[in-house]
Amino acid sequence: MSETPSNGRPKIAFFDFASCEGCQLTVVDSLQTHLDLLNAVEIVQFREAMTEKGEDYQIAFIEGSCTREADEARLLEIREQADVVVALGACAHLGGVNALKNLHPLEDTRRWVYGDKADWYGTYEARPIGAVIEVDLAIPGCPIDREEFVRVVKAVLIGKTPPIPDYPVCVECKLKENVCLFDIGKFCLGPVVRAGCDAICPTYGDGCEGCRGFIPHPNQNAMKDVLAKAGLTVEEVMSRMTMFNTYQLQEQLVEEEGR
Amino acid sequence: MTSVYIPEMARLVGVEQMTATEKLFTIELPNGRSLGHDPGQFVMASVMGVGEAPVSVSSSPSRSNGVFELCVRQVGDVTNALHGMEPGGWIGVRGPFGNGFPVEKMRGKDLLFAPGGLGLAPLRSLINQVLDERGAFGRVIILCGARRPQELLFRDEVDEWVARDDVECLVTVDRGDDTWDGHVGVITTLFHQISVNPRNTVAATVGPPIMYRFVLMELLGKGIPESQIYLSLERRMRCGVGKCGHCQIHDLCCCQEGPVLTYAQSKGVEEAL
Amino acid sequence: MSLMVLNKGAVGPLIEALMADYRVVGPQAKGPQFAFGTLTDPAQMRLDYNTTILPPKKVLQPQQERLASYSLGGKPSVEQIIEATPTVLFGIHTCDLHAVQLLDKAFSEEYPDAHYLARRDQTILVSLECLEPCDEHSFCKSMGTLTAGEGYDLHLTDLGLAYAVDVATEAGAQILSDYGSASEAGDGDVRRLNDVLGAKWPRFTYRLEFDAAELPALLSTAYDHPLWQELGDRCLACGSCTNVCPTCYCFNVYDETNMALTEGERVRRWDSCQLDEFARVAGGENFREARAARQRHRFMRKGRYIFEKFGELGCVGCGRCIRACVADINIVDGFNAIQRSA
Ligand SMILES: Cc1cc2nc3c(=O)[nH]c(=O)nc-3n(C[C@H](O)[C@H](O)[C@H](O)COP(=O)(O)OP(=O)(O)OC[C@H]3O[C@@H](n4cnc5c(N)ncnc54)[C@H](O)[C@@H]3O)c2cc1C
Ligand code: SF4
Ligand code: SF4
Ligand code: SF4
Ligand code: SF4
Ligand code: SF4
Ligand code: FES
Repeated sequence: MSETPSNGRPKIAFFDFASCEGCQLTVVDSLQTHLDLLNAVEIVQFREAMTEKGEDYQIAFIEGSCTREADEARLLEIREQADVVVALGACAHLGGVNALKNLHPLEDTRRWVYGDKADWYGTYEARPIGAVIEVDLAIPGCPIDREEFVRVVKAVLIGKTPPIPDYPVCVECKLKENVCLFDIGKFCLGPVVRAGCDAICPTYGDGCEGCRGFIPHPNQNAMKDVLAKAGLTVEEVMSRMTMFNTYQLQEQLVEEEGR
Repeated sequence: MTSVYIPEMARLVGVEQMTATEKLFTIELPNGRSLGHDPGQFVMASVMGVGEAPVSVSSSPSRSNGVFELCVRQVGDVTNALHGMEPGGWIGVRGPFGNGFPVEKMRGKDLLFAPGGLGLAPLRSLINQVLDERGAFGRVIILCGARRPQELLFRDEVDEWVARDDVECLVTVDRGDDTWDGHVGVITTLFHQISVNPRNTVAATVGPPIMYRFVLMELLGKGIPESQIYLSLERRMRCGVGKCGHCQIHDLCCCQEGPVLTYAQSKGVEEAL
Repeated sequence: MSLMVLNKGAVGPLIEALMADYRVVGPQAKGPQFAFGTLTDPAQMRLDYNTTILPPKKVLQPQQERLASYSLGGKPSVEQIIEATPTVLFGIHTCDLHAVQLLDKAFSEEYPDAHYLARRDQTILVSLECLEPCDEHSFCKSMGTLTAGEGYDLHLTDLGLAYAVDVATEAGAQILSDYGSASEAGDGDVRRLNDVLGAKWPRFTYRLEFDAAELPALLSTAYDHPLWQELGDRCLACGSCTNVCPTCYCFNVYDETNMALTEGERVRRWDSCQLDEFARVAGGENFREARAARQRHRFMRKGRYIFEKFGELGCVGCGRCIRACVADINIVDGFNAIQRSA
């Protein structure tokens, strides 16, 4: 990050694209409970919380996916101005549920599960912010985790690598000593999905659906086998894997196609 | 019981920019105590609030004067924070840890040192100790490589070694420029310029993983026995004292049985080289 | 030291009395499974448990613990933090007891770990003899951990209406006499104990197809075995197998600083060699990049490296890694496969 303004507090701004704005609400919530954070920054633009708009920000938080060609210009503008661009939440980070609409016709997507090649990468479909402009870091999750938001902002302010885990949800789940959902006949993507949410879904008895994206080098084939062996049909495996990660899986196919 | 994980606060008394990415830090322990290290050992250096990183001691025990030196490349959180520090600042220190080079076994022998890039940081400690007791060793050969002239560390000292009659020191860079009138080529090209009596030679090489493969081939090609070739391995280290498991290479615990290993110990271990 | 008898009805009152002065940790129900936890009511304790999700190591080496606190600004000051409270760890099975002995060695050799040792020092171990296999995944009999002659303060064996209590240490004798109401065992009790112990063995099976003592030698020739690739293809690198293992003790260290950057804590958390980033160094080089290499590392550590370091195998046969693995990777099957192909 370059210069901070004269009062020493970096100026930050929030922007939203196609999203439910749930992440921004979480931000409002974290700011209210972490006044030290609020005091450490100066917010110059935030539709959820204020009307005035400052354009001299250094850190931009972007919520939502890019779904229209028209969004691109605005994103480029933000990139131009900000020293640090942060993708806020699954829609911005992954494309998230917005990218689900990229998923038809269904017949084609089924082929992914069978391991076939497919060539259904379409025209203008929902995509993560990182597909349009360079993103410095992402705060994953749907919605983002309140405490993680605070940790990441703190790290950015100190100039440290933000502590976003590279390990899977299972780690947090086991450290909390949850009963594994596979042991009680349920299904979970925890083994291949990035932790940081403190395994919140498995803790409440719901299988992880991957809202924080895959870990680096996920063993997707093994995950498919595990889900199939646990009793999911091919369609069910597919709908789980694509819930938040449609865009990534499509990109992956395109890449494999290229090879 | 005092915890072995608690760093002692030591005063940073000197900072010298050596290259674009490396700085030399001079550090003073409380009450003028000396670190008491062997060449090749490392310390765990902390910037409180950021974290801890293993760093080889670069100064020679024979020149301690109540301070020791660390040569640090800026690559991540802790090293960035160190690079942001100025004299008068405080660094947390634990150690020295690890085994170091077997100076005793080197006495009376011809010595061949092959530092590549940042590998000079730990080897400088050993080289200077040897030179301070020059009479106790046979030939001293130093084959020193860096990628580019600007990346060559400890330029003044290396120049002194080159100038000495009792040291055979050759220097090369992978790619030269107009400031450079020395040898150009990868470090292995220097090996053709020397001949050694292999049975009486002990070699020590430290450098990036890719360099080891080639340098080891040269050393073996000269007939130096595997058990007389020493290298220092860099692994992720979180504790430095054989507990955290991060540094383990096959059956070796790198922070305790290493970081200095013989080629005989590490060859054939896919994870080592 | 001596053999005592504790009526089953006297266990509750013993726990209740201990709870006044100690943190008493025992097995409790967790959904359809079990977990060790601090008892707030003696009735929570389930000595009929089969196995727990996490091993009791979490009492001695918590999932996360603070090592030090520091304050910044000027000369930073660092204070060590030792988190230890007088604890009675009640009802641990003998496989886990053997694992504790291994942790004791790992944390006391060369550079003693003050944090672990302080907790260990304040922990009284009450172990419990298994009379039935906990489930089809255990292989304690093969690993020689189906019983224990030492390592505990008190050791309980279920005699039906009462527990035989082997009192092995002063500390054990003291809590039993100060907080409980046990009586000296008579000849009849000794006979009954021997019967119970004798009768249990046939109920357990040897699941390793060879003598566990051969493991280190066997594995020393298995570095290039095709099994590793096979396991690497199936493994999800989720880390569960090591997190649930009673003998795994690897950790990572983090600094957590407050927003004002004035103070913080250095903490450590369990880590796993199965995770992608475990052996990654600055610059991106990863010395165990392939899942196959990481599986090999785990098997080697359990069956060979730990033995070479401490003279005991790194696996106590508790079966937890097998239960926890959603990909059905099974360490006994793995060892057997290597042996068959040797
Ligand atoms: C025995 C020994 C001696 C050493 N001597 C020296 C020396 O003399 N001088 C010197 O400069 N260095 C030396 N090093 C290397 C030094 O320890 C590392 O450069 C240092 O630990 C980096 O720490 P950091 O906090 O700056 O980097 P970090 O911010 O910690 O970044 C690198 C670390 O983060 C992890 N990481 C997390 N995410 C990623 C990612 N996406 N890609 C890559 N890594 C990632 C890596 O595993 C790595 O440990 C030595 C190392 C050892 C083991
Ligand atoms: S419930 Fe999900 S996250 Fe938890 S251990 Fe099982 S697979 Fe992993
Ligand atoms: S458990 Fe999975 S779906 Fe739930 S919050 Fe965490 S990453 Fe998202
Ligand atoms: S539990 Fe199974 S899938 Fe997970 S890391 Fe261990 S062996 Fe691999
Ligand atoms: S390796 Fe598996 S069976 Fe062996 S002690 Fe660890 S968890 Fe138990
Ligand atoms: S592995 Fe053996 S000793 Fe351990 S709980 Fe199961 S039956 Fe008991
Ligand atoms: S650095 Fe922790 S075991 Fe070697």
